Amino acid sequence: MIQVILFNVTNGLIIGAFYVLMALGLSLILNLSNVINFSHGNFLALGGYLAFTLSPTLGYWGALLVAPLITALIGLAVERLMIRRVYNRDPVYSLLLTFGFAFVMQDAARFIWGPNGLPLGLPEFLSQPINPTLFFITWYRVFMVAVVIVAVLGLFAFLRYTRIGIRIRAGTLDLETVASLGVNISLLRTFNFALGCLLAGLSGVLAAGQIGLNPNMGDDLLMPSFIAIIVGGVGSLIGTLFGGLLIGVAAALTTVFFPAGSEAVIYAIMMIVLLVRPRGLMGEEGMMA
Amino acid sequence: MTPLEVSGLQTFYGKSHILHDVGLTVKEGEIVVLLGRNGAGKTTTLRSIMGLTPPREGNVRLFGTDATRMSPYRVAGLGVGYVPEGRKIFANLSVEDNLRVPAVRPGPWNTTRVFETFPRLAERRDNRGRQLSGGEQEMLSIARALLLNPKLLLLDEPSQGLAPLIVKEVFQIIKTMRQEGISILLVEQNVRVSLAVADRAYVLDDGAIIYSGSAAELAGDEERVRSMAGASAKEWVTSDI
Ligand SMILES: Nc1ncnc2c1ncn2[C@@H]1O[C@H](COP(=O)(O)OP(=O)(O)OP(=O)(O)O)[C@@H](O)[C@H]1O
Ligand SMILES: [Mg+2]
Repeated sequence: MIQVILFNVTNGLIIGAFYVLMALGLSLILNLSNVINFSHGNFLALGGYLAFTLSPTLGYWGALLVAPLITALIGLAVERLMIRRVYNRDPVYSLLLTFGFAFVMQDAARFIWGPNGLPLGLPEFLSQPINPTLFFITWYRVFMVAVVIVAVLGLFAFLRYTRIGIRIRAGTLDLETVASLGVNISLLRTFNFALGCLLAGLSGVLAAGQIGLNPNMGDDLLMPSFIAIIVGGVGSLIGTLFGGLLIGVAAALTTVFFPAGSEAVIYAIMMIVLLVRPRGLMGEEGMMA
Repeated sequence: MTPLEVSGLQTFYGKSHILHDVGLTVKEGEIVVLLGRNGAGKTTTLRSIMGLTPPREGNVRLFGTDATRMSPYRVAGLGVGYVPEGRKIFANLSVEDNLRVPAVRPGPWNTTRVFETFPRLAERRDNRGRQLSGGEQEMLSIARALLLNPKLLLLDEPSQGLAPLIVKEVFQIIKTMRQEGISILLVEQNVRVSLAVADRAYVLDDGAIIYSGSAAELAGDEERVRSMAGASAKEWVTSDI
């Protein structure tokens, strides 16, 4: 029994780590630009597919680095060409725009890489269990969690210590004042969108190693990521971090004790939060508080 | 090069017509005060200049460059520092981080100099914006604008809600800035004090300029001053600066 619980908690943490990476990217974009990016799951898939295409030439490690960067560049182009045109409109416009774009991206992936699932090859040692008693924990799982931790710490350090990061945090609160201090907020938003896509691309590469590739692989992660943001509190990246881990573990534990409710549980958590604490667990604190 | 020449501004918020043919000038090294009752359109005038609320008609020239409807960051890039109404400091950021938001332009102002000039900000450098007192927030808002190394400073009611002693300090800073060669457009409700430091004055009423002339002359018109000052009794307290 202990082992079953342990297995599911580990699983939950890993799934939660994906929610966190996705949700942090979504959160960045939502906080600074008021855009709910419905195509975020497709940027995840894009990252995975790019890694698939690049790994024969660059190897796994090269693809792990380069695929998210290319995803970010594509995100940058998408923001410049489309998304920024609707910033001054009602948020419904950007929501519909990214919603439509999600389907375009999905069909584009299907057209380029085919409708069937594809595997992403991993270096041999990553597929081994870390030891015989903990047979269910492969090195790959440890590796994924390590990469997510490094990415999250890197993101937080970036936001805390660099001028661009500080401006992103300031802009979350009052973009107009940031602009009147001489900062090109149009470029800031473009960069920020690309940063969000970078995180999505990275989660895509990681996810591909675990579950393989298919054109709608990001769909299952998108809704829980939104929920992670709401549960953690819109505007708080730390909240998003805890929100993601919380719903990941909650869903996994529910699988042990009440399998039928494993999907409903995260929605139930969101409902409870909305009713009891509408600003989310950490919604009142400023970002990075 | 004249720092600021504004003419014929017509500015709207949606359908409501706020500024009617507003024109004003700030010459090099001048302190110009813009007075007017609540809702007269003082903030809207500054926002029109900054490009935050672009005017529908009229012209804004900054240092000889046509800056009408330029985006705010480019206006700032021409050397315009803006200290907005209500300070607008970033409450979630530390003092030090607030000071790292402005674009970097070459000039005498840097963080070290700011901390020398505003020692209280240096003491509170790790505190968040929201933990500062009103006076400290005002200093931070001014310091933040100075880091752009502006040649023209737009200040919107910097003395609002501050204790008399702090008000005095703020006006002292404004005078020092002028000595540094920064031209200043000051929006105030503190009529007497601001007329005492200003070279020239404009009075806005209902979105139109109703007085334009020397500050001393306006200060001498006791009746006029009293009618404008009616809204704020507090300004009597600090009239001895
Ligand atoms: N965002 C806005 N939308 C619509 N109307 C506005 C807006 N901001 C200001 N106004 C209106 O425009 C007019 C001028 O406002 P403004 O803020 O420029 O006045 P002000 O002289 O700065 O006043 P105060 O001394 O109170 O700061 C007022 O009637 C105000 O109600
Ligand atoms: Mg005002």
